[in-house]
Amino acid sequence: MTSTPVIDVDRLTLRYGGFHAVKDLSFRVARGELYALLGTNGAGKTTALEVVEGHRRATSGTVRVFGRSPRDRRAVRHRVGIMLQESGFSPDLTVRESVALMGALSHREDRVGRVLDLVDLTRRAGTRVSQLSGGEKRRLDFAAAVYGRPELLFLDEPTAGLDIRSRDALWDAVDRLRAAGTTVVLTTHYLEEAQQRADRVGLMHRGSLHREGSVADLTRALPATIRFSLAPGAPTPRPPAVARPGGGFVVETFALQRELRALLTWAGGHGVELLGLEAGPTRLDDVLRSLDGT
Amino acid sequence: MLVIARSELIQLFRNRLVLVTSFLSPVAACVFFVSRHELFAELGSAGYVAAMVLFTVGAFGVHASTVTTLASRRQTLFLKRLRSTPASDSAVLTGLVLPVVALALVQVAVMLAVFAGVAGGPAHPALLGVAVVAVVAMMLAFGAAVAGLTTSPEHAQVTALPVSLGTVAVTNWVGLTGTAESTAWQRLVPGGSATELVLAAWNGGTPASESLLLLAPTLGWVLAAVALASRLFRWEPRR
Repeated sequence: MTSTPVIDVDRLTLRYGGFHAVKDLSFRVARGELYALLGTNGAGKTTALEVVEGHRRATSGTVRVFGRSPRDRRAVRHRVGIMLQESGFSPDLTVRESVALMGALSHREDRVGRVLDLVDLTRRAGTRVSQLSGGEKRRLDFAAAVYGRPELLFLDEPTAGLDIRSRDALWDAVDRLRAAGTTVVLTTHYLEEAQQRADRVGLMHRGSLHREGSVADLTRALPATIRFSLAPGAPTPRPPAVARPGGGFVVETFALQRELRALLTWAGGHGVELLGLEAGPTRLDDVLRSLDGT
Repeated sequence: MLVIARSELIQLFRNRLVLVTSFLSPVAACVFFVSRHELFAELGSAGYVAAMVLFTVGAFGVHASTVTTLASRRQTLFLKRLRSTPASDSAVLTGLVLPVVALALVQVAVMLAVFAGVAGGPAHPALLGVAVVAVVAMMLAFGAAVAGLTTSPEHAQVTALPVSLGTVAVTNWVGLTGTAESTAWQRLVPGGSATELVLAAWNGGTPASESLLLLAPTLGWVLAAVALASRLFRWEPRR
């Protein structure tokens, strides 16, 4: 990372009384990067993000966004779009009025119509926020965040409650912003979205950053898996296949191709059908599960 | 700030409950005081009617509306949303309460103008203007402080009452007993010296420069309420 990072978090700690919500957290996000901050429930992701966004004050440590304190709103916020985890729009304003208000306050240039088109809310422009569905509120939230194409975009659970079409549209819009150079910080419980899109991932657990790297870096440390079941009466496969407590078998291996070939050869030789066969590299959710043991 | 104020004004007029409880009810009460001004003037003085108009709007139009507005905007996370923009905290708060204050000032101005038209104007209009500003500032500051203790707009219906009813009661106390022998207590309780200032401004009989000293307790309450608000006010709902 040669250029100045867009976000620089150094030994961030946030304590509530004796409870450490975030402890000694350090990470950097480079310009144009999509950085995913993932973790279990209560890991401290949203709290950490709120400090980085400037909504909360750290107990100790430093946070820099574009080289400035994120609490220096005048200097930082016009470059930042924030999609909060919870909506926060006035129920008595219409969709158009809400976006226009946030747009005007963002000090960025854009057209309300363009942003509503982007999230497919043009037909609902005159509808009050109180009458929107949960998914429509998320889209409104996204619209307000991307108004004026910010340089840095925070997405906190952006696709929660969205149907598949809306999710695809949202990620298309994020991809277009990234192509134009926007840096994105993402937290999500949909790990496959992070796996597909993140340049780097930080895995938080109990307030601390336990692992960090590209998806390939993180998954490389754990074995790939092959899962299958057998019909009753079929011969028992040899190790490394082991029976799973819930039924079926699993093979954990760092040599996926070789073990898969050996398994298929064994099944062919014994005339056995491998039911529900799944084989693939380690997923982020496996990595996240492994944190519980740390 | 103005863009926030504009959106707040739209919200106020779309929320019928707030419109009725915070704006139409005080106006109805003020119309009653002005229409029966001879009776009230007989009980106290013409200045007493003016003080009742000012404190009714201040208690309900400013104080209760401020508590309700801030609690409501916090509960819906609208405050947090506004703070995710470059707008400063002071700009956000000012924008939110500006419509409430502006509407209250218009209400007071119209009602006192009507009262002046039917019963004769104040002896010291400029002093009356100072009193109006002081009362509105005090009620606003109390509103911000009480909003810190208020969890929801429904809760605001309860938490706003002590200051609203208390100040109106003090206005009646001072207005009905007169200012000839005002006690230190009357001057020190919230609204006491401000009521006396309104009476002096409307009825006359006291030099304006002497009456201005009555501003001190009111400004003291403003400072106390601002200090309290800065300690108690929360931008986000308690978790």
